[in-house]
Amino acid sequence: MAPFDLLLKKSAAAHGHLCPGQVVGVRMAMLGCRLIRLSHPTRRDQIKKLLVYVEMDRCTADAMAHVTGVKLGRRSLKFMDYGIMAATFVNLETDRAFRIISTEESRDLCDIYAPELEEKSEKQILAYKRMPDSVLFRVQKVQVRVRDVDLPGPTRLKVFCTRCGQVVRDGRQIEKHGQTLCKPCAGNCYFSHTKEVTWPDMNWSPTIKEDLPC
Amino acid sequence: MLKKISVTDAVGKVLSHDITEIRPGEFKGPAFRKGHTVCDQDICHLQKLGKNHLYLIDLEKDEIHENQAAAILAKSLAGPGITWDNDPKEGKICLYAKTDGLLRVDAPALAAFNMVDEVMCASLHSHTLVKKGRQVAATRAIPLVMKRAPVERAAAIAGQNGGILSVHPLEAKKTGIVITGNEVFSGLIKDKFAPILRKKILDLGSAVSGITFAPDDESLIQKAIDTHLSDGCDLILLSGGMSVDPDDVTRKGILKAGVTEMHYGAAALPGAMFMVAYINGTPLIGVPACGLHHRVTVLDLVLPRVLAGEHIGKKELAFLGHGGLCMDCPECVHPHCPFGKGM
Repeated sequence: MAPFDLLLKKSAAAHGHLCPGQVVGVRMAMLGCRLIRLSHPTRRDQIKKLLVYVEMDRCTADAMAHVTGVKLGRRSLKFMDYGIMAATFVNLETDRAFRIISTEESRDLCDIYAPELEEKSEKQILAYKRMPDSVLFRVQKVQVRVRDVDLPGPTRLKVFCTRCGQVVRDGRQIEKHGQTLCKPCAGNCYFSHTKEVTWPDMNWSPTIKEDLPC
Repeated sequence: MLKKISVTDAVGKVLSHDITEIRPGEFKGPAFRKGHTVCDQDICHLQKLGKNHLYLIDLEKDEIHENQAAAILAKSLAGPGITWDNDPKEGKICLYAKTDGLLRVDAPALAAFNMVDEVMCASLHSHTLVKKGRQVAATRAIPLVMKRAPVERAAAIAGQNGGILSVHPLEAKKTGIVITGNEVFSGLIKDKFAPILRKKILDLGSAVSGITFAPDDESLIQKAIDTHLSDGCDLILLSGGMSVDPDDVTRKGILKAGVTEMHYGAAALPGAMFMVAYINGTPLIGVPACGLHHRVTVLDLVLPRVLAGEHIGKKELAFLGHGGLCMDCPECVHPHCPFGKGM
């Protein structure tokens, strides 16, 4: 794996800015990969062995994804919306899995680890660089049951929603009152007041050279 | 796992921890030690201590007794120059100085250690001068039985840089003293600085190889420094000329002597116009005139650290600020006061 400073620089560039979450995320990724014994997670021979479950959608998540190379679209990045600064690293080949939790006390310790800095963000960045892993993180050895339908690779299962006809992939359908439903039809949905509409220039495609009006 | 039993049913049972007795002004210590088998005559004594119930311990695989925890914690806290008796009393282990020297406490690591649930360590201030055998810290687990994992995590934090606590013997340095100022050099007034500086050096186990007087002339001050360096001095103290007057040229003389770094100004009173410089690793300490008047100044905070091998830079002088204001008590009790103990 590349040195910490280089990983942080590249991760911050990809994320858009350097922030304390980037430092924690890069370090969490480095520790996670070390624990599951993947020294080069983005390398071709290791990239398919790694799954990362992130439990927050914060800067830290971007840093972890950048360092490890896991991606939502590749199904190697799983977002578990727990609101916890934690992530679990799974080696699919060995089944070794460790959940790493960013400690709350590390936030309180910034003043003492970087007393010479005044500005909060700069202080946290420096302090999180200085803290040893033992202060920054707690680690749990865990078992993760990865279902076939959650693995990277081709779609393993497709079913039709019996109410709206939508194709639902990879076992995400809901069985309700004897019906197979997609999540929106089952009422487990983030949107409401659905109404199908048309929109301007709806016949545009990239093969048409005309510019679209802004 | 802890099982609670009535003390009246405890005869024949083995105590799982020390039981403390406190007789105000007279005694505080274990009335019964862990491992003691309770007999009939103990029951009344235990009840007088307010013990109507006792715990029986059946440790789970991932649990640890407070005494085992204290032993793990003490071992990881102890760095060079620290010793301890691996015999917890009331669940606590005390750590001691193995030699005379300067106590150093890794304050960030100590804070991080104490942020782990259910463990604690309390220490003397960092940079306290200690004699061999002096207690410098104590540690314990808070509950009687706890999970092993937090103890091991706290131990990892404590051991990160070879231990949070360490005692460093003071090096015996060969010291040259330079007293600057036309008024002393020309004999207008009698010097009173040299005896003060000499005593402070001798009290800390170093030697004074020579005292040189120089006028307010940067070239002659440089020459005095050069002479001490040629003489093999590995520490030079300079007094006078550290202030802001046009005649205060001591710093210019020090610069002329070829310093590799210089830090002027310390966040301590008395002693704001203090200076630390280095010539090829040899420390030069500039003592402002307050050293004549006050029994204790910033010099007393920094000199032991220099002798213990610490490199003093801007950060070290700046961090003196919190707690760096001497209360100027009618009767000075330093080091038993807050002066210089903020960081």
